[in-house]
Amino acid sequence: MKQLSGAIHDLASEVVSVLRDGGHRSVAGTGTAQGDEAVLRVAAARALGADVLLPTTLLRHPPEEPVLALVREAMRAYPPGPDASSATVWSHWAMERTVLRLTSVDGVADGSGGRPAGVPPTAQPDVSDLESAPWQRLTHQLAVLGALAVPGADSAVAELAGRRSLDVSRGFVRAVRRRDWLQAAGAGRWLAAVDGAPGSLGLDAGLDFVLHMGGADPRVALHARAALWMRAAAGGEGVPPS
Amino acid sequence: MFSTESTTRDLHKALETDVEAALNPTEADGVFRDSRECAALLLLAGALLLSPPTPRPKKG
Repeated sequence: MKQLSGAIHDLASEVVSVLRDGGHRSVAGTGTAQGDEAVLRVAAARALGADVLLPTTLLRHPPEEPVLALVREAMRAYPPGPDASSATVWSHWAMERTVLRLTSVDGVADGSGGRPAGVPPTAQPDVSDLESAPWQRLTHQLAVLGALAVPGADSAVAELAGRRSLDVSRGFVRAVRRRDWLQAAGAGRWLAAVDGAPGSLGLDAGLDFVLHMGGADPRVALHARAALWMRAAAGGEGVPPS
Repeated sequence: MFSTESTTRDLHKALETDVEAALNPTEADGVFRDSRECAALLLLAGALLLSPPTPRPKKG
């Protein structure tokens, strides 16, 4: 697990680096790993899920084949089993969905979020266990599924997060008070994605605080930067925070 | 060559459980700063600092 944690941190750091710079460059090192390192990298990509492609999704760069190949290999190598958790199934669905969105005919993200022509629709996994979840567990689960929180998200999870945004706001505050920066960043990312934070929450300042306190963990930085990017884009600034 | 492939396969197998655990983590324990506890500790520290020195036996 320690090996995998390190690989996840490395890959997340690379994604954060591309997000922070905002430049047109690939998630560095993709496709160059060999042997055990390559196996670990694929496992890390599976754990990070659709966020491996986050720079492409947010910055609207054309997807790069080595990154797509890494994500496809991660989906192939770690398919959700029959007794997989709901989080695993949703994560896999999000990866599949993201690859489909990014590989439409013209090779760039479909602005409407629609499925590329000729691709059969995939049924969404069940979300009923989250419908009735108390706000604490809802926030935890949504933070785990943070990779689904992207602009124009149209999944059942996003719909639920929008409908229960007040609960997610309470969860964001709770996570900050508990100093659970990963959960706080994930919850903040959802609030940014569904534009559901009440003004009294002070989400922008909260996200800055989370980034300041927990940003040494690249997974926290990834969620927080994605959230700040979406807030800036929604506010008309249209540029990622540096 | 066979040995390398076998090792890689073993690593992949071992990682399956780790990946599932990473995708479905339990909630981390929170680290609270309880303001009442902090106030009590502050009062105690203040009381100790302000308390008179311990009586010592006089020399001679």
